[in-house]
Amino acid sequence: MSAESEAMLDDDGFIEERFIGQASREGAAESSVLRTVREGLRAAPALRQGLGLTVLFALLGATGRVVIPVLVQQTIDSGISGDSTGQNRSEGLDVSRISVLCGIAIVWLLIAGISQRTAVWRLGRRSETALLDIRTRLFSRIHRIGIEDHNDEKRGALVARVTSDVETLSQFFSWGALSFLLSGSLMSIVAVVMLVYNWLLALVVFVVAAPLVVVLRQVQIRLVEAYERTRAANAELLATTAELVTGADTIRAYDAGREFTRRAKLAARRKAHDQVRASFMGSLLFPSGEVFGVFAIGAIVVIGWQIGPSSGLSAGALIGFVFLTYRFLEPVAELSEVIDQTQTAVAGLRRVLGVLSIPETPPPTSDPIALPAGPLDICFDHVCFSYRPRRGEGESSGPAVDDVELCIPHGTSVALVGSTGSGKTTLGRLLARFIDPSEGMITLAGVPLTRVANDELRKRLVVVPQEPFLFEGTIADNVRFGRPNATEVDIERAFVDLDLETWLSGLEAGVATRVGPRGSRLSAGERQLVALVRAAIVDPDILVLDEATSSVDAVTEVGLQRALDRLATGRTIVAIAHRLSTAERADRVLVMNDARLIQDGAHAELVSQDGEYRDLYDAWRRSTDSNAGQ
Amino acid sequence: MLSEERRVDEPRVDERPGALSLIKELVAYHPGLFFVSMLGASVFAICTVASSWALRWVIDEAVLPRFDEGSNDRRTLLIGVTVLVAIALARAGGVIVRRTWAGKTQWRTAESITGEVVDRLASQPAPWHRRQRTGDLITRAGVDVEATVAVLAPLPYASSVLLMMFVAAIGLIALDAVLGALAVAVFPVLILANVQYQRRVDEWFALAQAELGSLSSATHESFEAVSVVKAFGAEHRETERLSAIATRVRAARVRAIGLRSTFEMLLDMLPNVTNVIMVLVGVHRVDAGHLTIGGLSSFIYLFALLVFPLRLVGYALSELPRSQAGRSRIHSLMDQPIVRDPRTSIFELDESTVERGSCVRLSSVTARHIEPTGTSTPDLQNPEPSNPDLRAVDLEVGCGSIVALVGPTGCGKTTLIEVIAGVLPILSGRITAPSSRAVVFQEPFLLGASLADNVTMGRGAGVDDPTVDWALGVAEASFVQELPNGIETIVGERGVSLSGGQRQRVALARAIFGRPELLLLDDTTSALDPVTERRVIDNVRRELAGTTIISVASRPSLIRMADSVVYIEAGRVIAQGTHDELLVSTPGYRELISAFERDRGEDVG
Repeated sequence: MSAESEAMLDDDGFIEERFIGQASREGAAESSVLRTVREGLRAAPALRQGLGLTVLFALLGATGRVVIPVLVQQTIDSGISGDSTGQNRSEGLDVSRISVLCGIAIVWLLIAGISQRTAVWRLGRRSETALLDIRTRLFSRIHRIGIEDHNDEKRGALVARVTSDVETLSQFFSWGALSFLLSGSLMSIVAVVMLVYNWLLALVVFVVAAPLVVVLRQVQIRLVEAYERTRAANAELLATTAELVTGADTIRAYDAGREFTRRAKLAARRKAHDQVRASFMGSLLFPSGEVFGVFAIGAIVVIGWQIGPSSGLSAGALIGFVFLTYRFLEPVAELSEVIDQTQTAVAGLRRVLGVLSIPETPPPTSDPIALPAGPLDICFDHVCFSYRPRRGEGESSGPAVDDVELCIPHGTSVALVGSTGSGKTTLGRLLARFIDPSEGMITLAGVPLTRVANDELRKRLVVVPQEPFLFEGTIADNVRFGRPNATEVDIERAFVDLDLETWLSGLEAGVATRVGPRGSRLSAGERQLVALVRAAIVDPDILVLDEATSSVDAVTEVGLQRALDRLATGRTIVAIAHRLSTAERADRVLVMNDARLIQDGAHAELVSQDGEYRDLYDAWRRSTDSNAGQ
Repeated sequence: MLSEERRVDEPRVDERPGALSLIKELVAYHPGLFFVSMLGASVFAICTVASSWALRWVIDEAVLPRFDEGSNDRRTLLIGVTVLVAIALARAGGVIVRRTWAGKTQWRTAESITGEVVDRLASQPAPWHRRQRTGDLITRAGVDVEATVAVLAPLPYASSVLLMMFVAAIGLIALDAVLGALAVAVFPVLILANVQYQRRVDEWFALAQAELGSLSSATHESFEAVSVVKAFGAEHRETERLSAIATRVRAARVRAIGLRSTFEMLLDMLPNVTNVIMVLVGVHRVDAGHLTIGGLSSFIYLFALLVFPLRLVGYALSELPRSQAGRSRIHSLMDQPIVRDPRTSIFELDESTVERGSCVRLSSVTARHIEPTGTSTPDLQNPEPSNPDLRAVDLEVGCGSIVALVGPTGCGKTTLIEVIAGVLPILSGRITAPSSRAVVFQEPFLLGASLADNVTMGRGAGVDDPTVDWALGVAEASFVQELPNGIETIVGERGVSLSGGQRQRVALARAIFGRPELLLLDDTTSALDPVTERRVIDNVRRELAGTTIISVASRPSLIRMADSVVYIEAGRVIAQGTHDELLVSTPGYRELISAFERDRGEDVG
């Protein structure tokens, strides 16, 4: 994965930095926004489909907004033109004509209303379809990017890409884009009508109202800042109250209740303060539109009065103008709000596109070779691997696996030992093809690992990770994850095969027992048992076990060991061993040190000679012997 | 005694406070602020109505005479326009005052209620907290408070709109009875339609939100399981599974959008069509000489001015149920009696105990463990896990000694530590212990503040206090000095993340800081390597010479350092003595220790 796409996983700050740099290279920040939008449209083609028709409906819908002002103008002018000399204007009202106009107006309003509704619905449906599409692509991609990009720190960011970032896009489409569409249509239609009535008065409205855009923008920017602060204050309040609750035991034990309520109340005060500030900023939005509106109306009334009927202006047109001015300025406040939402949405889109641009790691196999049905010997041919440097560190920290040359015949049980950072976990990952070697080659029965189709590989080789993850659901659901078509009977039999039926029958509901979130209702050892059955049901030829370090109680421990022994028959087992008792039982022990394979042999053989293994073994013996040192 | 406690439950609908009593209760927090906001709202309402009259005046007295009769009375025009502008400015001022003070009322009230909730949470002792769902309680102080005060924001506005409607209704009827009646008849229809709209559409959006919630947790789970997904080549299956949930989100959203767009259309059409009908009727009224054209114009203007506020009244009314629900949830928390603090039932050391050289004495103590419900979903079938229990435990611990509690998983070791610490209540029996005691739990709790704050926990002096450094030194937490900001380093989400062993040592320093007479450790040193563990225990012995240590021990290294061992099985003390004595006398102990030796080695990887 390139450093560029890695940035996408990090916080906004870093991404902004990157994009600002890029924008200055390109000469204009706008082009970067446009490029993001273009890329977004390419990523979600559903958005563009039928967009023209949607805009057409929106424009038609907006014409509904000018019906009333036009009708008022027509009414007034008909009254005046009917009898310009009489004392009583109303005598000349052309009642029948206005009745017809009213009828037309109602029909027009209905058509416009339905058009607008159609536009809103079309946009909403299309955008939700597009977002679903983007989400699905994100799921697919995130599951296929490298294991290194899935560490705990980055997980939150990845989840955020699928949830909150796509949500900002959804928010944008259901409100921002809609505003652009509807308010934009409305303002254009009203502007056109105003210009048709009287271009001079129309220009007056535009000129007087122009500063409103600037004022609103300023208020808007401060409002966003104020809201940002309230969000931070709210997060702080939540964090302090959460401490008050989650730390209840500790707080009681140290009598720190008063200190903690003080902290929480301080946070509550800060939040109230920030919220009030945001309320004040928000309170300026609507009145500024009003004030500029009345300035514009005052100006057109005075100027309209001044140029008078001689210029061809009618009283109805002037009064109609008053109404049109309100209609014209109404959406301005909303549009200025939308600008920020648009920025947020573009930033969200950028992050989403960033994740979609991370390459699959390891890359998919394009030209797969089928594995032979028989035994699978494993061979490492001068395999090297280096992790990419972390951000901020220029140089790579050196190879994690260095020139490993190794063959494991089928059916052997191998223990991989070594101190922390010796490279044994990396070696396991290479064998499982979670990562590809930077140099050298790994083969299964002579077939390069990179040429084995992923689906086939996962049926022949299964990894049981150190902290086996269980999904929320039943034990059967979790076992079935290994083989989706396994029946209840298959699952029960798998437990029997591993000699675990006693354990299973001790549970409240057997295989239907619910394991809780992350399997939390089972003990660590029990989770491992389920993980072993999940692996066993696949019936793989090779099992890679990353042994757990968590303490497991004695009963489960015995069960676990028995299950493992059963599982080992007829298979190749590669165990990344943290406890040397595992090494004692293995056919063959591989000792890693500083990325290199330094010892290879049976336990008895290695323990009898000087070297790393004997040191490790002695240290282990000392720490488990309660009588040592007494 | 525990059965009296109950969880903060979802209140039943009939327990919800009535709308008026809710508003009264909320306004009572800061009536002055609310009053100012209402004043602003009144100015706004009056100016809104006045502006329509001013407009009518300008049209009738200045615009029409000019166009109709060629009048040249500029003075009338300027007065009219000036008044129009002045009214608009006053109206804008009214809006600013109304909204700002409504915000003050709302958020200061939220602050007050949060304060009450926080005080209540702090005064409930640990056993009560264990029975609550953490997320639930945090919701009370956050979301529920916000929901409760939500009704305060639109309240002045809604009141002012009602006032405005009242004044306008009189004005409209006075202007023209027939048209006025028509307009006034539409108001309640609009309000009702808006309330319906808000409720229905909110329902659908809430559904979509819930679907989004399940998408979010499923996504989190799936990404967390990525190594399992990869190990079984299940990338495609997982994508499909998540995509199915995302499809449900989309379906709910599209339904909500459809409903909303239909409602919006109707709510838009209703006043517009009414407007056209008013023009139609108005023309006849003008024709019959009951109304002027200026009157008709101002009528339409005023009606347009009222339509948008009416929609917000609907919004305000639709907020009510949410506020009521929030308030009753907070009430259900506040109304719970304060549970008795278990610490109050621990006896101070009496003379007879001290004479015997004992620091801690338990006689026939029975206790039930309370599993913290925490963030996980509570087990409904088994709400009160009855095991492990302590059953008639007798124990005596000599002053200044180190005692190791040993026993198989789930035997009650942790429960024993917690009853002595006064975190768990006892059902019967008697505990005598020094009041100066400190406990370090298995899962150390660090607050999102500086390391110094984590050590002092509000006790004693500030950061310059040399005791902090001393305590960190005793706990072998010297890594703190190497952090960029030393003891000022912030831990937690916004700061550095510490490893399990580091967290344990900070928690230990916190316990040591108070120089307790009794130090209770729940397997605290298990996250340390044996060498550091040894140093920590030696340090404590040296620096806190008289301090008694009772520690749960799950590995041989700590047992080796203890003066005596208490062996527990199924909630009973089976034996007490030195390690060697118990190896001989107690078969269960012997088996457990040999299991340690057999396989529970230190991690060498």
